[in-house]
Amino acid sequence: MARRIEAIWSFSACTSGSAVILPDGRCDIIVRNHASTPDEVTPIITGPATQPYRIDYDTGDQWFGIRLRPEHGAALWQDDLGNAPDSVLRGPEALDRLPSLAALHGAALTLDALAQIIPAQTWPDVEPRLTRAIDILHASGGRLRIDALAQFVSCTARHLNRLFRRNIGLSAKTYAQLIQFHRTLKLITNGNVPIIAAAFEGGYSDHAHMARTFRRFGGFTPSGIPTDLSLPDIPPK
Amino acid sequence: MKLGYTIIYVADVPKTVAFYEAAFGLKQRFIHESNLYGEMETGDTILAFAGTEAAEMNGLAIMPNTPDGPAAAWEICFVTDDVATAYERALSEGCQPVSAPSEKPWGQTVSYVRDLDGCIVEIASPIQGSV
Repeated sequence: MARRIEAIWSFSACTSGSAVILPDGRCDIIVRNHASTPDEVTPIITGPATQPYRIDYDTGDQWFGIRLRPEHGAALWQDDLGNAPDSVLRGPEALDRLPSLAALHGAALTLDALAQIIPAQTWPDVEPRLTRAIDILHASGGRLRIDALAQFVSCTARHLNRLFRRNIGLSAKTYAQLIQFHRTLKLITNGNVPIIAAAFEGGYSDHAHMARTFRRFGGFTPSGIPTDLSLPDIPPK
Repeated sequence: MKLGYTIIYVADVPKTVAFYEAAFGLKQRFIHESNLYGEMETGDTILAFAGTEAAEMNGLAIMPNTPDGPAAAWEICFVTDDVATAYERALSEGCQPVSAPSEKPWGQTVSYVRDLDGCIVEIASPIQGSV
């Protein structure tokens, strides 16, 4: 259990607005409703995201969510994981994917219930070397080449890449690029590092390389980072 | 400014603290309840260990140490009058031998081992006159 769920969260909007959600390669299960009509719920299942998306909300909108650890995307998507990246299932589609979600509405919609929503028998085994590879990749800020990462966990790059695709749904390289993007973004937003210095420390060959990645994953330029970003800011446990 | 800490990022802080107690006879000062940070009793300059997860939290990108392959390009050095005994103790507690104690032309006895994560640890005698 410890290494399956990365975050359990809820959010109630006290104003209307919108937010940009940045991709972090994780799969989420989210149930959305409104404080005044708690029985009218919309279940949402996301695949591993590689693109930013914007959500709009009104006062009183509520979300309850769990974010799976990256290597457990297959628990949710099973054999469809290959088609899951950047897909979002809402309502009936989400219930088809995970029928147990139908029970979560009104008083039964709790974070505890959500944490138990994936039936125990559907969590596939994850090779420990994949978990270790993910930890090392995070520690390296996504800067390790995949063949070097494979050496750390004593397997071939080909096998490691297969584990990434089978369990996370993304290639090892894409996952590494997401980590590198988030770290470099934080160097600028949290570390107040100048953009050129952030590109260097982040491991980008030049400013243009960094700018391409920021556009791809964030939809913005390094000098035009929006102020209403929702940063997935939870390190692996 | 003075050198306050040497902090090594490791996969398992409590295990590394226990290893350094056994292999090098250090005492732990404390381990934080998160198990992501621990310090040894090493005098004015503290030898500390932090979990690799802490690197990401601090915004750092690090290359984890590993016994498989060349070590990182730095070392820590313990100084003792009895290098041979300290070297044997380190090996008996699981360090990998790199260079057995030998006397250098300048009169210092020097040996090298690698710790559980492959970090280089030198065990050497004091240089004459600098004790």
